[in-house]
Amino acid sequence: MALKNIKNKIAATNRMHKVTRAMEAVSAVKMRKTQLAALAGRPYARAALQILTRLSGSSELSKHPLSMEREQVRAVALVVITSDRGLAGALNSGLIKVAVEAVAPYPKEAVAVYAYGKKGQEYFARRGYKIERSYENKADDVDRAAMDELAVSLAEAFIAGRYDAVMVAYNNFRSTFEHVPTARRMLPFSLPALRQLVEDIAPEHGKYSDLHALDSVPAYTVEPAGEEVLGILAPRLAAVALYHMLLESKAAEHSARMVAMKNASDKSKEVAADLTHEYNKIRQAAITREVSEIVGGREALAA
Amino acid sequence: MRSFHLTIARVDEPLFSGEVASVLLPGKEGVFEVLAGHEAFVSELREGQIRVAAEDGKTYHFDIPDRGIAEVSSNQTTVLL
Repeated sequence: MALKNIKNKIAATNRMHKVTRAMEAVSAVKMRKTQLAALAGRPYARAALQILTRLSGSSELSKHPLSMEREQVRAVALVVITSDRGLAGALNSGLIKVAVEAVAPYPKEAVAVYAYGKKGQEYFARRGYKIERSYENKADDVDRAAMDELAVSLAEAFIAGRYDAVMVAYNNFRSTFEHVPTARRMLPFSLPALRQLVEDIAPEHGKYSDLHALDSVPAYTVEPAGEEVLGILAPRLAAVALYHMLLESKAAEHSARMVAMKNASDKSKEVAADLTHEYNKIRQAAITREVSEIVGGREALAA
Repeated sequence: MRSFHLTIARVDEPLFSGEVASVLLPGKEGVFEVLAGHEAFVSELREGQIRVAAEDGKTYHFDIPDRGIAEVSSNQTTVLL
């Protein structure tokens, strides 16, 4: 009976192995696609941030309504970018931890959550946070229109004074095996925060890593006027930053899932091998017992 | 002929990156041409066409569907669509 049980278990483990291996392969393909997209978006984000950081030397940035620091922070918007589906290791739990830490100084009622992805939405809804908006994060390609719209509504709410700060929590994709859950203040814009974002965007090595140096040009002629250029650039930059964070999160999600599935596949192989070993041992024990019983029976008859 | 580095990028993909001799851009206050060593400046672009004369003599065209921003510094020009 035990033999039959073990046999079933081995079959089940092998089936599981097939599933996880298939998921690993699917994630690998998706990962490659999103990684490419994340990398392709980097030069733009970098260039836009670079223009903005340079312009900010001319003091117009600090006068722009999107970069006004509020003396008292009463209401905060939190954008949480998680995945919709699980089986991706510690991806979402790590991110949510960072997100919660980011809004820890403020009372729950003061936090409005914009949840991009079901995992974040479920977590914050269960803990009594106000979910202002929630988006599905099912599609594999990144929805630019949704990001633009979200950025515009956040910027409007910020200027109208409904929020005094906007934070974003996302997974910063560094490599297939490394993603860093990051919380960042998106609004008001500030020079150090922008710098940080630019630096994070340049990958450590690979195709776009040569874009590293942030050189500064002292004087600029701005045409038509500084405020006008900033007026276009600043809201766009918010959209680009969001879009970028979503791309990074996607790349991180697929990488994390691929790694998780790879671990599961490896583990299931190991379990199957152990079970087979066990099965053979029990089978051999049963054969030995039967043989000795037959031998014993014959000897008893001959005696 | 002196050349400079030009980058044209859209949010989702870089469109052009390379050494060019000159680039013609539709500025908000009129079309202007950038050559190497141009004064550093930032300008808003309106919809229209960008004409790039690459270093190797080839010409490329890109359309600006909506608006854009051009940033020119001593040896580097960036156009964001």
